[in-house]
Amino acid sequence: MSLSLHRLLAIISKEWKDSIKNPQILLMAGIPILMAILGKGRAQTAEGAMDVFTMPLMVAIVTVGAFAQALMISEEKEKNTLRALMLSPASPMEVLLGKSVMTAAFTVIVIFICTQITGIPDLHFGFLILFVLMMLIISMAFGTVIGLISRTASETSIVGLPVLLIFIFGPMFGSGIDSAVVVKIVEMLPSYQFMLGLSDHVNGGGLEEVKGSLLNLVIWTAAAIVLTFIIYRSKSFDK
Amino acid sequence: MSARKPDSFNLKMTYFIPLTAQFMGDLLCLRGNFGKLAVSLRKATKRQWVTAMESIIEVENLQKSYKNKQALKNVSFRVRRGEIFGFLGPSGSGKTTTVKILTSQLQHTSGRVSVFGADPLRNRRAGFLSRIGVLTDNSGMYDRLTVYDNLKLFCGLYGVPDKEIGPVLASVNMAADQSTPVQKLSKGMKQRITLARAILHRPEILFLDEPTSALDPVNMGQIHDTLRRLNREGTTIFLTTHNMQEAETLCDRVAFLNNGEISALDTPLELRLQHGDRTITVTTSRGKEIVSQDEAGARRISELMARGELLAIHSNEPTLGDIFVKITGRGLE
Repeated sequence: MSLSLHRLLAIISKEWKDSIKNPQILLMAGIPILMAILGKGRAQTAEGAMDVFTMPLMVAIVTVGAFAQALMISEEKEKNTLRALMLSPASPMEVLLGKSVMTAAFTVIVIFICTQITGIPDLHFGFLILFVLMMLIISMAFGTVIGLISRTASETSIVGLPVLLIFIFGPMFGSGIDSAVVVKIVEMLPSYQFMLGLSDHVNGGGLEEVKGSLLNLVIWTAAAIVLTFIIYRSKSFDK
Repeated sequence: MSARKPDSFNLKMTYFIPLTAQFMGDLLCLRGNFGKLAVSLRKATKRQWVTAMESIIEVENLQKSYKNKQALKNVSFRVRRGEIFGFLGPSGSGKTTTVKILTSQLQHTSGRVSVFGADPLRNRRAGFLSRIGVLTDNSGMYDRLTVYDNLKLFCGLYGVPDKEIGPVLASVNMAADQSTPVQKLSKGMKQRITLARAILHRPEILFLDEPTSALDPVNMGQIHDTLRRLNREGTTIFLTTHNMQEAETLCDRVAFLNNGEISALDTPLELRLQHGDRTITVTTSRGKEIVSQDEAGARRISELMARGELLAIHSNEPTLGDIFVKITGRGLE
């Protein structure tokens, strides 16, 4: 498979221009920023302060990383622009990669704004980048799957809502549910481990303390990539 | 009627044209349509040139089956380089399926398909897509982007310099709308932009699938003008339509597709002559009169002319739509 940097840049440039004019994507980008603004300075405890930092990050990664990606893919199908792309020399992989680069860049910008609002706790920057990177890959992979399955942009909300609920609200409310099974399931979520791992690290944990969370994210990352590849092959993006 | 062989072109009409009723009618009619005559002669001259060229599309015994339906049944035809080839048929006759197979969007079930001398699907990643342009009635544009940005994307994908955007937009009369967001354009303007996108990289073959459906006559006329100009510049055009008038004005040859089969293939003029009843309507001061195209008819016309009663004379040739109904027993809509 050959990738053309020229074509890739053309697709990224188009995605950027289109995204900054897309009210749905801008709204998604606004939610974590709003959360950061509302949460700033409200934490009463150290644990609360960590939540104020990690929650906007996690919401940014899930809403922008997953849903912006899903929206961009499904909209191409809905508006018949995908056919024009597929009849050009651009390959399906270049189109998906272009969207992924754009989504990642957009998410990083939102994360940067959020961290400027909430401030960054005392942690190793490498750990933060590693955790964010893996969570972003997982979210974008799920976003790609949602986009491939959905036929229209509005269908992405229906298909993607369970992912949104489980990933975002699982860590928030799951541990309070009086069921050992539910708690166990919530603990296996990458979003839960993302927040737990960062929290453990800020509380002085090194690689030894966060390796469980890291392992969980590595497994989720690998599984999400495999799932995306399987769905990509079966849904025939370019047909 | 069975499907015709791919090489059964009928081109004998070139020198016969001056003797046809159409020609006489145009000359004698006081309201003679000289434009139509000019088109007939231009096409006749061009047909001679086209025959000298090689086939750019070759289809032999093409079959395509979906789960419960056979969409194409032993379809065979050839398209010569530089030709405007029309594929006429009602909705569901297999036109779009054929275009999808020829443009590498769909795998055929059996038969042989060759575009630029190779199977389109096998050739897809070997530069095939850079040599064709495709325009359909539902080709999408990026609504939020400007006309310029829409075309800039495809410049990047085809490796065409951005400076080509201006001349291409000018060729579809849209040069003044470069910075307009596509969502603010009318349907006709969007279709012209889509055509600009399809010709941006100067394709050798332009596939047009119902390009003017739902367009008003003014927009349709502008698109036709652009297509004629492209064709004069050497672009081969494969046009599917259910608009007989469009086929008649644009196409060098047409194939009638009905229920997945080609039921006729020839030049519009030849089809009209083959299926006409060879009569002439003569308008005199006393009313209209139909005379046959034979010696008796010629005598009657001379008589009327000698008496000064003749006002107009028209040959009675059927339209392509009439011929389609006659051959297939169904309409084109």
